[in-house]
Amino acid sequence: MQSKFEQLKTEALLAIKSVSDKIQLEDLENKLLGRKSGELTNLMKGLKDLTDDARKVIGVVANEVKKDIEMAFANKKNELLNLDWAAAVEKERVDITQPTLPHSERGTFHPNTIIQKDLEDFFTSMGFVVLDGPELESDFFNFTAVNVPENHPARDMQDTFYIKNHPGMVMRTHTSSMQVRSMLKQGAPLRAIVPGKCYRNEATDPRHEHTFYQLEGFVIDEHITFAHMKGVLEAVAKHLYGADTQVRLRPKYYPFVEPGVNGEVTCFICKGKGCRVCKNTGWLEIFGAGMIHPNVLKEGKVDAGRYQGFAFGLGLTRLAMLKYGIEDIRHLESGDLKFLKQF
Amino acid sequence: MLISYNWLKKFVNLSDSITVEEVAARLKATTVEVEGTKKQGELLNNVVVGKVISAVKHPNADKLKLCRVDVGNEELQIVCGGSNVSEGMLAAIGKIGAKVQWHGEGELIELAPTKIRGEESFGMICASDEIGLREMFPAKGEKEILDLSNLADKKNIVGVPLAEVLGLNDTILEIDNKSLSNRPDLWGHYGMAREVAVLFNRDLKKYETAKIKPGKDFKLKVEIEDFKLCPRYMAVAVSGIKVGPSPKWLQEKLLAVGSNPINNIVDITNYIMLELGQPLHAFDAAKVGNKIGVRLAKAGEKFVALDEQEYILSGSDLMIVSDNKLLGIAGVKGGLESGTYVDTTTVIFESANFSAAGVRKTSTRLGLRTDSAMRYEKNLDPNLCEVALQRAVELALEFCPEAKAVSKVVDEKKFYLATGPIELPSDIFAKKLGVDIPQKDILNILSRLGFEVKPKKNSFLITIPTWRATKDIAIAEDIVEEVARFYGYENIPAVLPSFPINPPEANELRNLERNIGETLVKNLGYNEVYNYSFVSDIQVGKMGDDLKKYLELDNPLSKERPFLRRNLLPNLLENVENNIENYPEVKIFEIGKVFSTKQSGLRLDSNGDSLLPKQDTWLAAMYAGKKDSTPFWQARRALENIFAELKTEFQILPADLVQPWEHPTRLALVACGGETLGVICEINPLVAQNLGIEQRVGVLQLNLSLLIQVLSKQKDKTNYKPASIYPAVTRDLAFLVKKEVTHQQILKVLNKSSDLLKDVELFDVYEGNKIGDGYKSMAYRLTYAHSDRTMTADEIDNAVKKAGGLVKKEFDVEIR
Repeated sequence: MQSKFEQLKTEALLAIKSVSDKIQLEDLENKLLGRKSGELTNLMKGLKDLTDDARKVIGVVANEVKKDIEMAFANKKNELLNLDWAAAVEKERVDITQPTLPHSERGTFHPNTIIQKDLEDFFTSMGFVVLDGPELESDFFNFTAVNVPENHPARDMQDTFYIKNHPGMVMRTHTSSMQVRSMLKQGAPLRAIVPGKCYRNEATDPRHEHTFYQLEGFVIDEHITFAHMKGVLEAVAKHLYGADTQVRLRPKYYPFVEPGVNGEVTCFICKGKGCRVCKNTGWLEIFGAGMIHPNVLKEGKVDAGRYQGFAFGLGLTRLAMLKYGIEDIRHLESGDLKFLKQF
Repeated sequence: MLISYNWLKKFVNLSDSITVEEVAARLKATTVEVEGTKKQGELLNNVVVGKVISAVKHPNADKLKLCRVDVGNEELQIVCGGSNVSEGMLAAIGKIGAKVQWHGEGELIELAPTKIRGEESFGMICASDEIGLREMFPAKGEKEILDLSNLADKKNIVGVPLAEVLGLNDTILEIDNKSLSNRPDLWGHYGMAREVAVLFNRDLKKYETAKIKPGKDFKLKVEIEDFKLCPRYMAVAVSGIKVGPSPKWLQEKLLAVGSNPINNIVDITNYIMLELGQPLHAFDAAKVGNKIGVRLAKAGEKFVALDEQEYILSGSDLMIVSDNKLLGIAGVKGGLESGTYVDTTTVIFESANFSAAGVRKTSTRLGLRTDSAMRYEKNLDPNLCEVALQRAVELALEFCPEAKAVSKVVDEKKFYLATGPIELPSDIFAKKLGVDIPQKDILNILSRLGFEVKPKKNSFLITIPTWRATKDIAIAEDIVEEVARFYGYENIPAVLPSFPINPPEANELRNLERNIGETLVKNLGYNEVYNYSFVSDIQVGKMGDDLKKYLELDNPLSKERPFLRRNLLPNLLENVENNIENYPEVKIFEIGKVFSTKQSGLRLDSNGDSLLPKQDTWLAAMYAGKKDSTPFWQARRALENIFAELKTEFQILPADLVQPWEHPTRLALVACGGETLGVICEINPLVAQNLGIEQRVGVLQLNLSLLIQVLSKQKDKTNYKPASIYPAVTRDLAFLVKKEVTHQQILKVLNKSSDLLKDVELFDVYEGNKIGDGYKSMAYRLTYAHSDRTMTADEIDNAVKKAGGLVKKEFDVEIR
C-alpha cells in the first residue's frame, strides 16, 4: 500500500511537471485529486480497510504524499500564471503619450481677468476693500471732484466720451472717479482698490484703445506719507515681477495728487539691461501715483488737516500685455477665440 | 518742446565735466519728461553744400532728374528724385561715404557710387529727414529735397561741410509737452535753465535788459475791455525798422529748436518767446494806427490770420483790434494784414498777458494750437511782459541801427498774484514725506528756486516767486513737492504703513462674478470675452430693438458704434458670427455693465438730486454648435450649473413678453427668491440669420446686481440628513404623453404618490418617428426608501403602481 502511494506521488509529480497549460493542469488535478474518482482520492479511500496500526503508519505517508502533490499543483499553477502574465504584459501596453479621450473641456478666462484677480487678491490680503463704480459717470466725479475743473488743460490729456442730451455725464476716463465717491460713502480711514473699465475718445491702433482697464488704489489715514506710498508700490512691483524688482519714481503732474509721480519698475524681461519691450531703458512705466490733493480730500468731506493719503493707478490692460507679450491691444476686445483660448 | 543745450548754457555755467546726458537724466528724474537728446549734425559727415548746375530729365525715368552738382573741388553727376530740384539751387549733397537714413528712420546707409536706371550717380541730393535735419527744416512734401538757397549767409559756402555752414555744434533736448502742462515757467530756455542751475548747484545768470527810452512822436493808446481776459497789455512803437534777415547767430538758435527764421522782427518775437516763454507780437504800425483795443469778437465776425485762413469768430474769442479793424486773435494768432513785412518801417511790439481759459477755449475751438496759445494756456506770469518787451526793443535797436522807440511804453494792467507769504509748519515735510530733510537743504532748494523763505520758530514763511504763483504753486503741498523733487524721490525710503488688522469688507458682486466665471470656465468649458460697451444702430436694428431706448455718445470715435449697450447680446452675437467658422461649437460669456435710460440710486454730484442712469452688471453666456439644433438646453445647463455652485434654487417661469430677438417657444424667465432676474432662450433664428449666423444660438442672461441682493437674503439650501442604513430601491417608469404635458406637471403628481418615494429623476425624453406625432416619451427613475426598515417587494410594487396610476389618471398617458 505504501509503495502504491509512493508510486502515485512519483508519477504525479512527473505529470505535473510536464504540464504546459492551465487546462491540462486542471484536468490532471481532477484526475488525481477529484473528489469522486481522483486516483489519490480512491487510494485514500482504501485506508479505511487497513488495520489501525497499519493505517497509522500508512496514513502519515498518505498525507505527506497528498500534501506534496497539492504543493506541486500550487507551484505549477503559479508558474503558469507567471508565464501567462509575462506573455500578456506587452499586449497591455498603453501609449503613455496619448491624452485622455474624449478631451476634458476647460474654458479660459480673459487675460485681463487673470491679472485683475491676482491683484485683487494681493490687495485684499493687505486689507484693501475692492470697490466697483459706475462706468457712465458724472462729469463731477470724473473731473471736478478730483481737482480737474472745467477748462483745465488736464481735460485735454484725457479725451472724453460725452453723452448726447446728458451734459453732465461722461464715460469715465479713469477709475479715479471713485476716489471721492468712496470717501463720501465710507469716510476715512480708507483702504480701497477700484479695478474697472475706462474709456477715452482715442483712435485705436496696435497701442491705443478707447476701452481699457485700470486699477485704482488709495489709502487714507492719519500719518500716511510719501514713504508709505513708495512702500506699497514697491510691494506691488515685487508681487508682480519678483523680489529683486526695483521701483523708480519721477515727478509727473496729475491734478488730483500733489506731489504726483509716475512709477517705473525694472524691466522684468531684460532685468534692467535694456530690451525691445522697455525701449532699451531698462525700465517699464506701469503706474501713476501721488499724495492725494487736499482739494480732493475736501470734496470727499475728509478732514484734510487730520488725514492724508496716497493714490495710485495701474494700467491693467498694459500689465496684461506686458505679462503675455501681447503685441496688439486690439486683440483684447476682439472676442477672437484664437486669441482668447491661449490663456 | 525742443531745448538747445548751448542756449541753456547761456544762463547756467555748466562745466565740460557735466554731460548733456547727465543734464537730461537729472531733469527727467526731477522736472520733466526728456524724451531724448540729439546731437546736431550727427549724420552730416561727408555732407557738403553743393550748387545744382544743371538738372535735366533722366533719359529712362519720368520722375528722376540727372543733375550736375558743383561741390567746390569737383563736379558730380547725381541722379535725383527730388520734386523741387532745380538749376542754381543750393542743396545738401551727400558725397560718397556719407551715411544717410531713408525717410529718417531705420539703419544708416553708406553712399557708394551706383547706377540708377542706367545712369551713374556719385552721391545724393538729400532731403532734410535723410540727414537728421527734419526738425530744423521740416519738408512740406514727401519728395522735397532740402533747399539751402535761402540761408542767411550764403557767400562762398559751396563745398563747405553743411554742419559748419549751419553752425551745428549743439545738442537738443526733446521735452514732452504734456509733462510741462503745469509749469508755465518752463516754456522757455531761461526757466529750464533755472531748474538746471538748482539741480547742479550752479548760479543762474540774471536776465538783464535795458530800460526802453520812450519817444513822444507816436501817440500809442491801448484800451482793455475786460482785465479778467487780458490782465496786462504792454506795447511800444519802434520806428526806423528795416525788415530783413536776422543775424546768423539768431537764425541758428531758432533753427536749432525747430523754428523757421522769417525776418528780423518776427524772429525777435519768436526768439524771446523761446527764451522767456512770453509770446510777443509785432504789428506794422502803418496798418494799425495808434489805437489798440482788446475786446471780445462779435459772433460771426470773420478774420483772416497770418496763415491766410479765414476764421469765423464766436462771442467768446478775445481779439486785438484797432478801431473796428481786427488785428489778431489775442494770444493765438496775428492777422495777415497787420503783420510785419519787407516794407514795414515802424512796428508796434505787443507783450501781453491773456487769460489761460480764454485762450485755451478759442485755440481749441479754432484748431489753432499755436506756440503762443500753448504757453498762454498754462497761465503765464504777467511780470514777464515787461522784461520781454524790453528785450524785444533792445534787439530791434541792435539789428536796425536807425531804430528807436517813438512812443511811450504803454502798460495797461490789472492783476493780482497770490505770492503769499504762506506759513508752513516746519515739520510738514517730515509729516508728508516720511523722511527728515535737513532744514538747510530745504532752505537751499527753495531759495535757489526763487522762493523767499523766512524761518520762524516752528514754521517757515514762504513767498512764492511770481513765475510760479499763477497757478502752479498755491498750497503747502506744492512746496513740499518742490523740496521732495530736488531732495530726490530716490532718497525717500520705502516703508509699508501699519494698520489695524480689520478684515476688508467683501465685495459680493465681485465674488459672484468670480464664482460664476469659475463655473462656466472650469465646469462647462466656456471662454470669457470682453467686448466694447458700444453698439451700432445697425446691430440694434438687426436685433429688432428700438434705438430710442439707447443712450448715445455725443462724440463717438466713429459713427459706427455710438450707442451704449442695453444688454450684452449684440456684441456677443458678433463674436459668435466671427468664430463659428473656426470651431465646431462656440461657448462664450461676458460679464459687464449695461446702460439703461432709467435712473439709478447713484448721485450725479455730492449734493444735487440728479441721478445717473442705471448700470447693472449682467452675465450673458452664449452657445452655438454646428450640430446642435436646440441649444436652449445648453443655456439651461449653464443656468443649472451656476445655481448648483451657488447652492441656491432657481425657478423657471414662462415669459409674458417676447423680445424681438427671442425665440417665442424656447424662452423662459429665471427667478430666484421671488425676483425675476434672468432669461434663458434661443435667439430667434430669423434675427440670427439676419446677423449672419446660420446656427441656432442659446443664451443665458442673469442680472448679477439683482442676484447678489437676492443671495444676501438666502440660506444655503444644503439640508443634511443621515443616510438610511436600509437599502433603497429604484424603479423606472416611462410615459407616452402629449407634447404639451410638462415635466413639472408630471413631477408634481409623482411626488404626491408615496411617502416612500425619495427621489424622482427624469433620465430620458424621446420625440421622433418611433412614436406618434405630437407625443413624447418621458422616462423617470423613481427611488424608494424607508428610514427604519427594509421595504417589502409588495410595498414597492404597490407604490410604483400607484405612481403610474396617478399619472395615467391625471394625463392622457400610456405607460411603457
